[in-house]
Amino acid sequence: MTPKPHRVLLDRVSGYADEAAAYMRRRRAFRRPFARLYYRGGRAEDHAADSVAGGELFVAAGRLIEVAGKRPKA
Amino acid sequence: MSQEARAIGTAGILAEMSDGETSAAVSGDAAESALAFLAEMSLDLRGAAILDSAGSVLAASGDAARWGEDAAALFEVADRAGDEPVEQVHVGTEQGEVFALRHAGLAAVAVTERFALASLTFFDMRSLLRDLAAGGDGRGRDDA
Repeated sequence: MTPKPHRVLLDRVSGYADEAAAYMRRRRAFRRPFARLYYRGGRAEDHAADSVAGGELFVAAGRLIEVAGKRPKA
Repeated sequence: MSQEARAIGTAGILAEMSDGETSAAVSGDAAESALAFLAEMSLDLRGAAILDSAGSVLAASGDAARWGEDAAALFEVADRAGDEPVEQVHVGTEQGEVFALRHAGLAAVAVTERFALASLTFFDMRSLLRDLAAGGDGRGRDDA
């Protein structure tokens, strides 16, 4: 029997939502610290934490995180 | 706070504005309003600052002097890492994420919780700076 059209739509939306949720879970589990610089024209460069530039970027970013403090509670 | 923030200069730190546009004088009040709007829009935001082309802090959430110094240090390190001035910086750490952007002769730096959506955060920061540079209050309204 052919499923009702709204069922097909709901299943498809649920499928996308499940995939998105799984992607976010994987991202949280596996994402490592990174330092990425963007230049005019869209060029981007990654700097590893163990490189000189990467290390300096992490130190500078750490200071900003410190000055920002914790998120104010709503 | 805006008066205090405006008085704090970090001369020359942002001299290399990558888009070459020079912003008209942006008032501290407009920058404060823009910062408040950014906080409203970005639920993950912990703190942020807006700086002018000379590196002076126009508005900041918290210690303006520290924001000015630390933003300057970040841009300086980022510029040294490549062969041209950087336009955007995104650093993700275990403790949080840092976004920095130069646009329209201004600069914005924001610190968020981990896993903030980078494209949205940069989009919001860019819109805010564009509006400030055009004489608005960062909210993108015509009546500003």
